[in-house]
Amino acid sequence: MGFNPLEHQGIPLERQLRNWRELNVEPVDPDHGDPYTKCRVITMNGIEVEAILFSHQFARHCPDPEVKRQLAEVRYIEHQQQKAVNWLLPGLSSVLETTIAYEQVAVDLTGWVARHEPDPYLKQAYEFGVLEDFDHLYRYANLYEMIEHRKAETIVDGLTEVMPGRPTKFHHRNPVDNVREPYDRTKTDPLSKLHALTIMSAEQQTMNFYMNVGPQYMEPIARQLYQEIGLIEEEHVTHYESLVDPGETWWEQLVNHEYNECYLYHSFMEQESDPKVKAVWELHLNMELEHLRIACDLMRRHDGREPAEILAPELPNVLTFEENKQFVRNLLDTQMDLTTLGTGYVRDAHERFERMQEQIHGGEEPPSERVMAQHREMFGREYRLETEGPHPDVASREKD
Amino acid sequence: MAGITASDADVVALLMRQHGEIRNLFDEVERTGGDERRAAFRRLVQLLAVHETAEEEVVHPFTRAAVTDGGKIVDDRLAEEREAKEVLSRLDGMDPDDPKFLPGLLALRLDVMAHARAEERYEFNHIRRSADKARLASMATALRAAEAMAPTHPHPGTESAAKNMALGPIAAVMDRTRDAVRKAMGKDG
Repeated sequence: MGFNPLEHQGIPLERQLRNWRELNVEPVDPDHGDPYTKCRVITMNGIEVEAILFSHQFARHCPDPEVKRQLAEVRYIEHQQQKAVNWLLPGLSSVLETTIAYEQVAVDLTGWVARHEPDPYLKQAYEFGVLEDFDHLYRYANLYEMIEHRKAETIVDGLTEVMPGRPTKFHHRNPVDNVREPYDRTKTDPLSKLHALTIMSAEQQTMNFYMNVGPQYMEPIARQLYQEIGLIEEEHVTHYESLVDPGETWWEQLVNHEYNECYLYHSFMEQESDPKVKAVWELHLNMELEHLRIACDLMRRHDGREPAEILAPELPNVLTFEENKQFVRNLLDTQMDLTTLGTGYVRDAHERFERMQEQIHGGEEPPSERVMAQHREMFGREYRLETEGPHPDVASREKD
Repeated sequence: MAGITASDADVVALLMRQHGEIRNLFDEVERTGGDERRAAFRRLVQLLAVHETAEEEVVHPFTRAAVTDGGKIVDDRLAEEREAKEVLSRLDGMDPDDPKFLPGLLALRLDVMAHARAEERYEFNHIRRSADKARLASMATALRAAEAMAPTHPHPGTESAAKNMALGPIAAVMDRTRDAVRKAMGKDG
């Protein structure tokens, strides 16, 4: 029998507040250790940020002062969780190093979810997104070598390949073509709800991160690349958030959020290699169990429904950070030239796509192309990390 | 600004490149053993000596003179340097195959990295802001003169500890670097 968070008791809320000493976590080593530990930290930060932003939005739409106070109490603890999690990142890392770790998350988290998503329409949405984040990783890796003279393999450690995906310049679509169809909350597999929430949260945090750190760079090409990829992250948030059924009530959404946090902390606790980080996942799981209990009570009281009706009877298999190389290579072989039209996918560059491309590029090469040209000028080659052989797409192989 | 591709004309881009090369050399020392490790460690020590000497001769004086409260910024950097140098001198006398060598090296790596990041964040940004193009270029020239004192990549046939040792003790490397920098500054500065 798997883990059912509804049957476990967490830490009572009044005992969850931490003092400064307890919040002062020791960061992970910047150059050693498991890259996937950093990926788990980045993922959980995105999850906590979404928990906080969702709770704020909920409070702004909530006329009941008693509920507002209840939300505020839990939200403050979630803020502390976000601090404890994100402060595991080392101050010694540069912004670009953290960026490359963010893109490794985007590739290997979305890759895993795509492989395990039961609904074919949702699966396609994740497969489509993976190839774009994969290309962002390659562009940032080249920028990183130009600025810091280090290779991205010192960050991704050979677990994720670095080579072209769907070219970034083709990610700029007409915004209406970024809106997908939602799953049906009454029929969908509970696992699909968790997947959608997880990937939406991760992409939203990536968007927030790039929109804030991009202007910290002095180098013009760096500033411009963050602008370009930052805009694509907005497209990804639009893409993934539209998968969620908007018919879910606020109470239902709250329960889904808390349940998902339990699922992810439980998953990461099971696989964490760093004992100090594992202790954080374990502590936070025990806090989330209580947050879930509170959310379930609110749902019963205000929605008149049993949370068990919308949740799975037990947690699904643990979500795992692991290599997705063959999966990504298969997508590179088959889905490079896809774009979206309405809520579907096509291989043709349709009129609306072409118009958007003309307008945004203004007849010039975008930053994602110029970064490669400048890198080639500087080093006489590109930076790539192709551990499993040449690029599956012949046209994407490096030209001498 | 010319941008990073014109790095030969920008002292900050050059310094950032050296920071990257220092970290790359740490990687090399960590993953090798025996004579190979000894040789890589010699190169690391030389590059550190050259890099710090050049900064003391070229970069810190500019910060002191041209940046508001630059003296305080430099004092903080020198304090970090001193700490790293103490760890370095302990390591320098040790056999790289000694079981205590690697933990010491990892401690040094963190000290050096903290110092480098502090420079990038609290000193180099002022240099980019305060120095004009010509000054960035003349400082870059001096730094390249210093760099010539420490080949970061081994020349074929010299990859042996004995020959690397032949470059002389660290103090001599620093002296030679200082002379080279001063000569270049006199010419271009």
